[in-house]
Amino acid sequence: MRLPALATAALTALLSTAAPPAQASAALPAPALTRSAGGVTIVTQSDNTAALSGVALFVPAGLDRQGLAQNGLAALTAESILRTPVAGTVTLEDAIQARGGSISFDVDAHDVRFYIEGTSASEPALLSLFESALGHPQFTPAILSASRERLGRRIAANQQIALRVGMEMLDRQFFGEPNVGMPELGTPISLAQFVASDAQQFYARAYRRHGVVISAAGDLSVLSAGTLGALAAALPAGTSPPVVIKIPALHGTSRQLITHRDISAPWLIAQYRAPAVDSRDFGAMLVLGALIDRTLADVADVPKLVSRSLTESAIGTIYNFDARPANIVVYVDGGIGDPSRTFGTTLAVIKVISSTKLQGSIEPFKAAAAGEFIDDTTSLADRAWLAGVFAQQGGSSDYLNATLAEIAAVTPDDLRRVARLYLGNPTFAVVLPREGA
Amino acid sequence: MRGPVAFAAIALAATVLVAPLGATAATQTSGTLPRGGVYILHSDPGVAQAAIELWFRAPAAGYGNDTIGVSQVAAAACATAPLVSGRTLVDLVHLLGGRFTINVYPDMVSIATTVPAQSAGRVVAAMTAAYFSPSLNAASLKTAQRDAAVLAVERKYSPDLLLHDALLAQLFTGGPAHYAPLPAGSEQTAKLTLDAVSQYAKRAFRSSNAILTLAGNIGQSETAMVTDGAAGAADPPIDSQVASDPQNVSMSGAVGGIGLGWTGPAIADSKAATAMDFINDYLFREDTGIVQRDLLRSGIDASVSGQFITLHNPGVMIVTISGDSAEVARGRVLDALAALARPLDQQTFAAAQQAFLYHIASDAQTPQSMADNLGWYAAQGDAQYAPGDSSQTYVGLAKTLDANYVAQIAQRYLRSAVVVRAVVPSKGSGT
Repeated sequence: MRLPALATAALTALLSTAAPPAQASAALPAPALTRSAGGVTIVTQSDNTAALSGVALFVPAGLDRQGLAQNGLAALTAESILRTPVAGTVTLEDAIQARGGSISFDVDAHDVRFYIEGTSASEPALLSLFESALGHPQFTPAILSASRERLGRRIAANQQIALRVGMEMLDRQFFGEPNVGMPELGTPISLAQFVASDAQQFYARAYRRHGVVISAAGDLSVLSAGTLGALAAALPAGTSPPVVIKIPALHGTSRQLITHRDISAPWLIAQYRAPAVDSRDFGAMLVLGALIDRTLADVADVPKLVSRSLTESAIGTIYNFDARPANIVVYVDGGIGDPSRTFGTTLAVIKVISSTKLQGSIEPFKAAAAGEFIDDTTSLADRAWLAGVFAQQGGSSDYLNATLAEIAAVTPDDLRRVARLYLGNPTFAVVLPREGA
Repeated sequence: MRGPVAFAAIALAATVLVAPLGATAATQTSGTLPRGGVYILHSDPGVAQAAIELWFRAPAAGYGNDTIGVSQVAAAACATAPLVSGRTLVDLVHLLGGRFTINVYPDMVSIATTVPAQSAGRVVAAMTAAYFSPSLNAASLKTAQRDAAVLAVERKYSPDLLLHDALLAQLFTGGPAHYAPLPAGSEQTAKLTLDAVSQYAKRAFRSSNAILTLAGNIGQSETAMVTDGAAGAADPPIDSQVASDPQNVSMSGAVGGIGLGWTGPAIADSKAATAMDFINDYLFREDTGIVQRDLLRSGIDASVSGQFITLHNPGVMIVTISGDSAEVARGRVLDALAALARPLDQQTFAAAQQAFLYHIASDAQTPQSMADNLGWYAAQGDAQYAPGDSSQTYVGLAKTLDANYVAQIAQRYLRSAVVVRAVVPSKGSGT
């Protein structure tokens, strides 16, 4: 069967699925949001049924604050904060763990995001420790060395994940500014070049109060507004502007990136532009993602397993709606079935969606989109992160009720319009096994 | 109060318990279902999801321990047999935007779903209909057999699961724990007949043998959605025969690794069982365990996973090690265990205990993890001992632990490990 015919057949089969009756979802309390004149946003989701409290701190000190020769400096600075002594010689991370909590960080295009979680009773003390290290980090050679070592391990682990490798390649060309598309943690070679003064200067320039978002979730009964506000107050006032770097775009006929890793089968990944969370197209893109997921599963010849299986993670989509600009990737692990056929048919289905008015019910995909979104809102870390992302991007911090309402309102025409608008011209990444692997 | 007695007590009548975390803590309710079986409900209106799970005490290899994989096949066949509506349970859950999972253990089965909260009632009705009144057919059996075949292959390539099964086979000489929940290949499950699987399903999945756990944004009214079943007695927890002198063993496998195993306290010795959990948390928890950190610091290329499995009698401690430097890591694991036979200094113990208390709460923070948590301990015979239970029995015990007691437990249970080595045959060896 030729691909277009196969794509049409696949789509027809998908849309013929009987729809479940629509059910109204009960609204949950929306997060409370306050914005200060100093440029600090605080979002709180009080859930007194929780035994824990979690606080996410978004600092505009991400990849876009690095110059081209500073790849990894944002991560090294953040890691050094975790390793700053706060109680004698005990590092912040160890001190938080010893008091019944955890701390972690992630670096993305624009921000570094810390997350501190603990039992409700211990959270104020944990935040106080964090505030101390955040305001007075140490970048001694020993701390930098230990930080480099840990980042090196994380980088090595990431390099074993073909999907992550492919997405990093795609990001490098996706974002208009080359510094934004750099690997989040840097590379072992780039990290090796930094000395204490590099981290000190980066911290002094990028760790500023303006633009900070604090998002707290869980049992907040013991956290006052002052406690949360003190986190931002630990940073000096002012703004840290991004480092703007423009290089001429490469114009070529090929939009395919290829690399090799020690993996057993090739991975195929396509990246498209996607709407931001405050776009009217956000709900439709979530539904399109669910439709593409189902298409992949249907054409991949993956056995439709009753039980959860490894094959579930071999195909799918990832909607990076927190990125600015947002994007969506479609991926297939070549270890299952015929990846070229699966990938080709799925991309053909996407084209059909963008050019044809869909006949049949889209309710199952709306239900799947809602279910998947809800599935990502059950832990405190997810809830704090989502509320922070939505608040930061100018929309409502009510990520849940608003998103479910948007999904419920999606029509087949919306899917066609949004597919046509965003899903037209992907860039591909191919991660291949090394010779002899 | 011993486990089964405690469980019977909570099954007698619905009681509302309020966790002593404060006036606004989540509420838990437990009681009997309308047509046999019991439920435990942890209602949390702060999330948009509901987790609904059915737990059954059911031997994975059949009631004669001679049909390995029958519980997996039966559970999957029930989920893929058409209900009165014409739709299968799996399809319904997926159409509602939910997730469906079957987890088979040697002595029990859990059927787990998570769905958007507004669909919880429909899923409770469909799940209980599918399992309390199974109506299997040839198509559902075929689907379930294919399902089991794929899972068996995955299990074969997982060092943790491969070693886990092999260790239990050495630690127990008979009973369900001696047998892997799934066979190594598809031949055995392919031979299962519709009649045999149906008979198993009707016995194992009867309503009176069920524990329904519900967590998340779900209320007591959903328990009334159960429309099938019949009153009766639940099976007691299923114990296996402990080997008096378990032997080390080497075997060839698709993946290599080293497994270490010990039998531990029964669930009835709840303080000792909690101490074993503490030891596991302190040594082996991902990212924070001291063994994990030691391996990372030392650049030892090995992956170590530890768990104390709380079972009715006895519990089991399992450590699995894989990677190029597995043998070096084994030495580090044994050194760390030996060191624990001496009491930790007060400061180190206090920090480890605080971390343990946090991990207890962290591990039960989502609806699914809470439903898992409540279901496992109830099926093993002591619902109130579940770390997520509102009685806070477990947390209370964790707070009473001290360094001396933990050292005593380490000495008593973790002295001599049974060792299993899985070796990948070299190319051309012909094995």
